[in-house]
Amino acid sequence: MIEVKDLRKHFSSGIWKKHSTKAVDGISFQIERGETLGLVGESGCGKTTIGRLLLRLLEPTSGKVIFDGIDLQQLKKAELRRLRPRMQMIFQDPDASLNPRMKIADSIAEPLKLWRKMSKSEQKERVSELLETVGLNPEHLNRYPYQLSGGQNQRVVLARVLALNPDFIVADEPTSSLDVSVQAQILNLMQELKEEFNLTVLFISHDLEVVRHISDRIAVMYRGKIVEIGDTNDILGYERHPYTNELISPASIEEDALLQGDMKPVNASGCVFYPRCPFAAEICSKREPGMVEVEKGHWVLCER
Amino acid sequence: MTLLSITNLKTWFPSRDGIVKAVNAVDLEIKENERFGLIGETGSGKTILGMTIMRLLQPDTMIEGEIVYKGRDLLKLSEEEMRKIRGKEIAMILQNPTTSLNPVLKVGNQIAEAIRLHQGLDKRAAKEKVVEMLEAVKIPSPEKRVNEYPHEFSGGMRERVMIAMALACNPTLIIADEPTTGLDVTIKMQIVRLMKEVTKQRAMLFITHDLDAAAEICDNIAVMYAGELVEYAKTEAIFKNPIHPYIQGFLNSLPNRGLNPIRGMSPSLIGIPNGCRFYPRCDCAEESCKINHPEMVELGNGHFVRCLQYDRS
Repeated sequence: MIEVKDLRKHFSSGIWKKHSTKAVDGISFQIERGETLGLVGESGCGKTTIGRLLLRLLEPTSGKVIFDGIDLQQLKKAELRRLRPRMQMIFQDPDASLNPRMKIADSIAEPLKLWRKMSKSEQKERVSELLETVGLNPEHLNRYPYQLSGGQNQRVVLARVLALNPDFIVADEPTSSLDVSVQAQILNLMQELKEEFNLTVLFISHDLEVVRHISDRIAVMYRGKIVEIGDTNDILGYERHPYTNELISPASIEEDALLQGDMKPVNASGCVFYPRCPFAAEICSKREPGMVEVEKGHWVLCER
Repeated sequence: MTLLSITNLKTWFPSRDGIVKAVNAVDLEIKENERFGLIGETGSGKTILGMTIMRLLQPDTMIEGEIVYKGRDLLKLSEEEMRKIRGKEIAMILQNPTTSLNPVLKVGNQIAEAIRLHQGLDKRAAKEKVVEMLEAVKIPSPEKRVNEYPHEFSGGMRERVMIAMALACNPTLIIADEPTTGLDVTIKMQIVRLMKEVTKQRAMLFITHDLDAAAEICDNIAVMYAGELVEYAKTEAIFKNPIHPYIQGFLNSLPNRGLNPIRGMSPSLIGIPNGCRFYPRCDCAEESCKINHPEMVELGNGHFVRCLQYDRS
């Protein structure tokens, strides 16, 4: 469904654009139809950038994104626009992704107005139907986003995303701003919807516990690179990369190593995780490791 | 020795839609050197409780009850007397360091403010003290960092600055309002460890919705729901033997405990109905729960709960 090949995105900053940040640095992966791939990593590791690149909301520095056999980079603006309804994004903050001056009904109907030729009454019917799918009542239709809670707003966002029957959804930390008890509601709902509509999902989160529940496969990201990718059970039971291990049991980290590690600049030629790695050997600072398949479908970026 | 004792505290404030009853009949006691956890979800009134203790709320807020700190009722102190307590005796780590720090002042000067005010040190001595504080919260190369602005710090480092600021005058009690929210797991772990370390010799009211952090840090935990405490016990007891249906549901909705949500959502604090506040969401609710409001009862061993299943009075 989705194929990513050696994708890179470098942001340059500073007055003379001399300072460059490698937000996404040579990443390749695939997502099968109907699959959920969880993408985990700490803030600033480039997760959100990947999400945006996949939908071509950002232009990559180099590399390819192939969506259902179509190379997104080759498309003209108009062609891309026609493809847009098939891919949707759910953003982090539901309150901020709804227009505060539009009623809930209008927000959900917006994509229908743009893409489907429907009469007013058909539109209304479809909106009510969507509302029911995400577990809201008709009484919510005439309210504004500020009158709803964060969890309810996230349901509205889901209804809007589903309005055009998309094939692929990028969910960027959809529950990170919600309370725990509400988070569970939304995650369960997403799981149901995914099965009902056979969606392909890229689920971005910094919380491994959340990701494990919803993903078929997991990719772990560190400083712009995927360091480990594989089936959920492989990653969470037989993890190979030291960084994945840190995420699974943060209590095991040596504090001093951690503190200093992040401060050190990454050696241009070595492994990205080298400064922080408890198993770092001489070779790790000199040579960049390549992805190795340790088991079928379980890849690790590590010298060991 | 009891350090802070709160009796029958009510904090209500007016809003456009009616009176917000944020804190209702809260009783709690923090002993010297105790780490007290206050757990609750968004809108349960936990931050307002912290702000009430510090007397940081608007003058039109209605506050009733007693907050006795070292034998003095904080609510009866004059503004001037209160100023001598804030920062020096009781310090608060505010939520969200990004918005709590002044973006146009150097970090060093922000920490020095409290030191100069309470300890009367001159500029140079205050700066030395600031460097010492930054060292205490393990910020690398503190001599350099004092002259930097908040935007030059990462999220975890900013949280450390907030902690340094609270510690600056060596307070007896720290009120920490969600210090681990919005941090990555690895960074969170560091902050939790730091909080534990700096509270070895002092008391802390740790306000959070993060159960893992609370479990790691606190001696005792109180659970707040819709403006009132619903359960209070030793940390171990809360996790191993939770009694109130709300905290049971809360625990079950965690991703590592099965992700079973509590149905419905937290009630608004405006126009709270009679009866049990958790009634509409509770699976064990009976008819009487709708009418009778339960009181806190002790089940023995210092385990208190507010639920009609146990309150037969």
